[in-house]
Amino acid sequence: MSKFLDWLDDRSGIRGLVKEALYEKVPGGARWRYVWGSCLTFAFFTQVVTGTLLWMSYSPSAQTAWESVYFIQYQVWGGWFLRGVHHYMAQAMIVLLVLHLMQVMIDGAYKAPRELNFWFGIALLGVTLALSLTGYLLPWDQKGFWATAVATNLVAEVPIIGPMLQKIVVGGVEYGHQTITRFFALHAGILPAALIALVVGHIYLFRKHGIHVKEPRPKRDSYFWPDQILKDGVACLAVLLAVVFLTLYFKGAPLGPPADPSNEFPARPEWYFLFLFQLLKYVPAFWGAVIIPLVFGLLIFLQPFIGASRKGHQFNIGFWWCLLAGAAGLTFLAFSEDRENINHGAAVREAEWQAERVVQIAQEEGIPPTGAVALLRSDRENRGRRIFSAHCSSCHRYNGHDGRGYQVEDDQSAPELAGFASVDWTTKLLNYEHYVSAEYFGGTAFKDGTMAKKVLKKFDEEEKKLLPEVALLLSDLAELPYQESLGEDRKEKLMDIFYDDLACIDCHDIDSEGEGSAPDLTGYGSKKWMVDFIVNPEHERFYGKKNDRMPAYGRDKKLSTEEIEIVVEWIRSRPAEN
Amino acid sequence: MTEENKAPFDSSSDNYSEEGPRRKFIVVSTLAVSAVCGVFPFAAGITTLLDPVKKSAGNKEKVPWTKVAPLVNLSEDGKPAKYEIILEKVKDAWTTYKNVPAGAVYLSRKGEEVTAFNLKCPHLGCAVDYRSKSDDYFCPCHNSTFGLDGSVTDANSPSPRGLDTMDTKVEDGFVWIRFQHFRPNIVEKIPLA
Repeated sequence: MSKFLDWLDDRSGIRGLVKEALYEKVPGGARWRYVWGSCLTFAFFTQVVTGTLLWMSYSPSAQTAWESVYFIQYQVWGGWFLRGVHHYMAQAMIVLLVLHLMQVMIDGAYKAPRELNFWFGIALLGVTLALSLTGYLLPWDQKGFWATAVATNLVAEVPIIGPMLQKIVVGGVEYGHQTITRFFALHAGILPAALIALVVGHIYLFRKHGIHVKEPRPKRDSYFWPDQILKDGVACLAVLLAVVFLTLYFKGAPLGPPADPSNEFPARPEWYFLFLFQLLKYVPAFWGAVIIPLVFGLLIFLQPFIGASRKGHQFNIGFWWCLLAGAAGLTFLAFSEDRENINHGAAVREAEWQAERVVQIAQEEGIPPTGAVALLRSDRENRGRRIFSAHCSSCHRYNGHDGRGYQVEDDQSAPELAGFASVDWTTKLLNYEHYVSAEYFGGTAFKDGTMAKKVLKKFDEEEKKLLPEVALLLSDLAELPYQESLGEDRKEKLMDIFYDDLACIDCHDIDSEGEGSAPDLTGYGSKKWMVDFIVNPEHERFYGKKNDRMPAYGRDKKLSTEEIEIVVEWIRSRPAEN
Repeated sequence: MTEENKAPFDSSSDNYSEEGPRRKFIVVSTLAVSAVCGVFPFAAGITTLLDPVKKSAGNKEKVPWTKVAPLVNLSEDGKPAKYEIILEKVKDAWTTYKNVPAGAVYLSRKGEEVTAFNLKCPHLGCAVDYRSKSDDYFCPCHNSTFGLDGSVTDANSPSPRGLDTMDTKVEDGFVWIRFQHFRPNIVEKIPLA
């Protein structure tokens, strides 16, 4: 072994190299405040290794980016963990960068003769942020897609060459294959190469000038190996454990629904960019993307010179504290505004629903070559929600919302339809108080119609006790998938109430010839009844001329029969919440 | 991350002096911590690298049945005919394809019994021809010849085994097959999985 080392040293001079690397003098002894640079190196090393492993299963194109990340997340052995480590280590890097920067600022390590190295560090900060931005769009989920849209539109703010630059970055005018391949080349090729080159320069310059000692020196001088390396290693271990903890706690990195340009999304950047996002609410994009970064950039560039005087140094430190505090304040504002915005919460839950749904379908049916977004767009469950939201929710509600969880601004003017025709729903329908309330017909002309004023209101106490029985009968006719059938005997008894005790049959037909003056209840709430009703509520079987504003969706071709069937199936598929 | 290399150089340094046991403790802990940090990124993803090996080990599940042709299309005298195999569903990592051409077979019939030979020569995978004149199978690449029962008929044939058969069944008048490929150029018939 030692012979081999002798030979190797003779041919390469490796002993001297290692010695030089390890026996760097640490004036004043090893200290915890010096660990951040090593932690960042460790974090970057982790990103290179985990990123390369992810690369082995990632496919950058509009039809395969989300799909291959889904594959990594849900099908590859341990893929979720690998992705989680890469994701959270990227976030740890941002935190470590800030710590490293602040330590350098406070200790005054940025001043002469270390100006050049300070600039290298700032460039490294920029490259790392660019790596983050290009990284989280690679899954090409909704978050990645919309974040790309915002970021590339900001590129267009650059004077004169902006629009051209945007086309170069996007790979054209529309987002697609070329956008992802270009961003991937940036993320896995150009930026890491730039980072390595900068780190080499950074470390070279660091070694040239040595550690900048914060006075007073706590101990006598020591060496990098092993004292400082031990401290560095322990700090790296702490970073590692934090990343593993986050990965396990959040069960890996999130994966949103696949990118869909026609589907709105509550686009928010990762948390470390939230302050920029919030800033753009207050200042024009040109200021946010060009002027402010330029002014701040210039100021930061000049800081080593500003810091030459005591006052200047204090100004520099103050500047960074203000910048951090400002970013923290803006981040807090961004979070609290979103928390107070009900529809933002609904949009987040909608996106989570879509993400879960598309994974469920992908696992059951597989993903077609056209990509996962097609799965979601053709999913009847998803379409049912969307049709209800687009066509029904301006008057009706579903669990109080628009079918997808959003609040509706217009007042409710037609019945709540979650759990339509269920026992609960029908029982409430036949209660006068509920019937004329906004939850049912309070917003319609039927509030003052025959059923309300001359029937439900006029029943005596004995008759009222029979109403839940009728509700049971009507609900049974609906044959809802989540309710058990009553059985023929029970049904016959209930039919007696309908025919004789309450004489509903005087106006409403069930299984009888002729047209009663009120809606035909044959097969009430069943798929066929509902489809027929939505096709044309003005039909003699239903409201006839008494119809109050309910559009004839089928007759007037506002919706196709398939669309009506889809929304009916969806309404019938589950009971109301609570 | 070359900390591991340092041990041999420690003693050569004389400008560093600390009491023995404490220094030893520091060196050992430093090496241990560095090793953990150095190995961690690889450990975090090694499973994803090994995933294909793990999956093929768990992939011994039944090969799906594929519908090939109506039984009546097969000549009753046992004369073989070539049929394409179109797999209904093929999963390639994250994409599921439908109706994918996967290869071809020779089918021959004896009553209700259907024999299926993979078109690929077990030697090196060329497509084998059926020769009606000599009523045998012939590989045009390296001249392997096979009898109607699939066995190697010519001692000079380079093929190490006869044509590869697959499970067949007849259902509702259709011939179904469990289509598979096999490892080439060995005596045993081992499915590729």
